[in-house]
Amino acid sequence: MLDALKSVLRKTSIHVCLVNTGGCNGCDIEVLALLSPRYDLEQYGIYVHQNPREADVILVTGAVTEQWRDKLQRIHRKAPEPKIVVALGNCPISGDVFNQEGGSVYAPVSDFIPVDAEVPGCPPRPSEILEAILAVAPGAIAERGRKK
Amino acid sequence: MILPLGPMHPGYKEPIRLKVKTRGERVLKAEIEYGYVHRGIERVMRNKTWQKAIYLSERVCGICSYIHTQTFAEAFERISDTEAPPRAQFLRALTNELDRIQSHLIANSTYFKALDHETMFMYMLALREPVMDAIELLTGNRVNMGWNVVGGVRMDADKSHLSRIRKIILDLEREFDRYVEMFEHGPLIGLRSRDVGYMSLEEAEKARAVGPIGRASGIRYDFREDHPTYRDHLDFRTVWRDEGDNFARVMNRFDEIRVSADLIKQIIDNIPEGPVRKKVDIGSGYGEWRNEAPRGEVAYMIETNGNLIKNISIRTPSIMNIDACARYMLRDVATVADAVATYASADPCIACAERVMVIDEEKGEREILL
Repeated sequence: MLDALKSVLRKTSIHVCLVNTGGCNGCDIEVLALLSPRYDLEQYGIYVHQNPREADVILVTGAVTEQWRDKLQRIHRKAPEPKIVVALGNCPISGDVFNQEGGSVYAPVSDFIPVDAEVPGCPPRPSEILEAILAVAPGAIAERGRKK
Repeated sequence: MILPLGPMHPGYKEPIRLKVKTRGERVLKAEIEYGYVHRGIERVMRNKTWQKAIYLSERVCGICSYIHTQTFAEAFERISDTEAPPRAQFLRALTNELDRIQSHLIANSTYFKALDHETMFMYMLALREPVMDAIELLTGNRVNMGWNVVGGVRMDADKSHLSRIRKIILDLEREFDRYVEMFEHGPLIGLRSRDVGYMSLEEAEKARAVGPIGRASGIRYDFREDHPTYRDHLDFRTVWRDEGDNFARVMNRFDEIRVSADLIKQIIDNIPEGPVRKKVDIGSGYGEWRNEAPRGEVAYMIETNGNLIKNISIRTPSIMNIDACARYMLRDVATVADAVATYASADPCIACAERVMVIDEEKGEREILL
């Protein structure tokens, strides 16, 4: 009974922590645009908090820079189980334009923490971000919660 | 006690650490710790052709991504001793003003979010979305547009596109006054904003504050006055204020949105016909170009060797503004909540402010890289 209730509630309250690990800020403002009345993220039960300690979804934007190499894993450890990681934009997937000779980035993010979903694009459109979170988050979180 | 804010903080868009020294609730002084998003753009750009480097310059900063490509292209045109065709210049100015409107709206929305005024935050974002539509209509993309090339712009704008942009701007202006009045005369937001985070004219000059932050403290300077397109074809006036507090900074941005909307209407009325792009033979040499980004003056210093970039230096406005914020605005602020709001009012953009100093001990050389 309690587990069934939990899995229903987990689907309707997804807390998102946005971690910019060294991008150009473009993906971050597209997430900010998601909060606007046109897209209205909160009607799907998704809340952007920027607090890893209560996060269900960690949105990683940006190629990993020197400073984030150990801090990213620390943030990932701080988030309680069940949690999923969504890599947003080209930077966490491949390093985008920064991953060339001379750049100081350590992409991809999947070298540091396990990634569940990837949304390519530079930056992806707000509707794509929303679709990705909704396609992966509720199911995966509820399933992992049950396994626990 | 020392209270660390960040690098992950609900009020910030980007990672930065703000160490504030407090006594009780009162913030005595603040210190800024950078270094979270340094990517080494200038070094990647070296020994590349402009076709490759212009995409890197776009990704210096995501919010004001447009002006970086324009300045980059104009610096190259300067080196080659040429100019873009008149229609391309007008289209560049049009996109620049649209980008400025969306950037100022997002900056003000962040400020209202820091004040926990959710309603105004939502209003600002609701105003911004049609402007993003206009940018998408014109350039085909919302944030990183890939719209500028050396010698012009990539695509021509249709007459129907321009008339739709005009309609979007007219709609924005109609709604806009109501929201500005809410902020200007609302007792609650006014009390939280007036006389908080004060910076005087001398302090702003000492910290080399630029853009709306400098203009809110009385620096009467806008680089658009000296830009050839604005100087020769458009009627432009600098808006400035002398209060120097959070209220002035937010109001200055609101006033600039009005000026930008007016400029967009002028551009659409007077845009000449003709080609939008011409072939440019890139010369060797050194070129420098400045432009007024939404946050202040941005400068590109480029040295080319034939078609390749030998050396490039990018100066972005945010670094001075963040420094001015830490040193002068966040001094003796009443509460920590006000300190976060003051920081948001300075419109910091960390992605373009990151620098690293490389010191070669053997040669005794130092070099600062973006």
